Amino acid sequence: MIHDMIAIVQDYWLLLLIGQYPNGPLGGLANTLILSALSIALAFPVSILMALARLSKWRLLRWPVTAVVYFTRGVPLLMLILWSYFLVPLWTGADVPSFVTMLTTLVIYQGAFMSEVVRAGIVSLGSGQMDAARALGHGYFGAMRYVILPQALYNMIPSIISTFVSTIKDTTLGYVINVPDLTFAANQVNNQLLTQPFQVFLLLAIVYYAICWSLTYVANRLERRIARRRAGVRVGNAAAPAPVTPKIATEQL
Amino acid sequence: MTDTSTTAQGAQTIQLSQVCKSYGNYQVLKNIDAEVTRGEVVVICGPSGSGKSTLIRTINRLEEINSGSITLDGRNIHAQMRAKELNALRSRVGFVFQSFNLFPHLSVADNVSMSPIRVKGVKPDVAYDKALKLLDRVGLADKAQAYPGQLSGGQQQRVAIARALAMEPPVMLFDEPTSALDPEMVGEVLAVMKSLAAEGMTMLCVTHEMGFAREVADRIWFIDAGEIIETATPDEFFKNPKHPRAQRFLSDLRH
Repeated sequence: MIHDMIAIVQDYWLLLLIGQYPNGPLGGLANTLILSALSIALAFPVSILMALARLSKWRLLRWPVTAVVYFTRGVPLLMLILWSYFLVPLWTGADVPSFVTMLTTLVIYQGAFMSEVVRAGIVSLGSGQMDAARALGHGYFGAMRYVILPQALYNMIPSIISTFVSTIKDTTLGYVINVPDLTFAANQVNNQLLTQPFQVFLLLAIVYYAICWSLTYVANRLERRIARRRAGVRVGNAAAPAPVTPKIATEQL
Repeated sequence: MTDTSTTAQGAQTIQLSQVCKSYGNYQVLKNIDAEVTRGEVVVICGPSGSGKSTLIRTINRLEEINSGSITLDGRNIHAQMRAKELNALRSRVGFVFQSFNLFPHLSVADNVSMSPIRVKGVKPDVAYDKALKLLDRVGLADKAQAYPGQLSGGQQQRVAIARALAMEPPVMLFDEPTSALDPEMVGEVLAVMKSLAAEGMTMLCVTHEMGFAREVADRIWFIDAGEIIETATPDEFFKNPKHPRAQRFLSDLRH
């Protein structure tokens, strides 16, 4: 079986790596990575904006975003994807590439999920930090940027990384609207071989696992580095009281 | 920070007039009329739940009021104004919290220098040098690179005072600065506050430290059920409190 898988890689590595490119659209692993990276890069700031909107005292901002979050969380992603794919061209008449449809849907969906994580991180800090920042003359956004978000986001790293990982995994759903990603390429390979679905899809699973694991690994390293820096020079010394708040918040999730 | 506060002794700095605040039907502050003159140290005392903390928090508008006005050097803090103006006003009032509220993600030196850099646009190296001087002044020069989580409560509160001073406010507000401290750490914080008072800083302190009030305060406001029912010098207040509620408060303290 290992030999079969090696043979598959040897025969189809280019298709799995970049799809039909340059004769067709870019696909395969390259497209999966691009889609994942763009989704995460856009969903993250979107989630912060949504979280701030949900915490806003301004109803015109709070209510619509709250509605979006509730709706998005209550509906399967696959359904959202199909909706955007079929309804957006119908309503707007525009011919939206499936890649863009997938990207937009993922950003809204994962942005909504992550906004709840970010919001929880902000709320769990309590009002003291905001009070202190305001008392020193920081404006709302200054306080958010320099005081609240650095703490809230750090405390929420584990949950945020989970959302990143699930974003990567959710790119596979692009398959149903013909986004030529790695899953799409693997299915093409499977259709040509016909007799080795287990080998093909095991290979697929290994690749996704490697991507997601690497991300988790890098994030854990980053988290530990920040924790070590905040614990200061006396790291490893049991007598040094570690910053209490981040720890508690991390353990809760 | 002392050059502005020592000039023009006696000029009014903070003026509260007819300040009212309610949470729903519960009136926390009732027609507060008071003033703090430049260089004066005022201690606000009274039983818990009397509105002391709320009152001091309204002075830099961490709490809104329902009616009345609070002016700082003639400018109404609770007037309709743009966020930028309010931030500028707030940066001129130092505030020290009961729970310190240091920024745990920043080193001690960054805690002190961050706001001058981000709010006032002071150059980072200048702000940093100033932070080190202020930390030296509160006796924590050796902790500049530590993080708040590594400090004791008393040390954290001294950093918090240095952080507030870094904005060079002409007025400092203290909201029960020693109430969250272990008894052996109260002294070090009070010592810093005393030295500030001695330099002529205008100070308004909510505190239960009657020793501090007696020694440092120029005037005491006794507040009960949202009203200032007695203002007096420490001598008068401790020897001869006029209001029955103040008499009861003081006799409760002695037991």
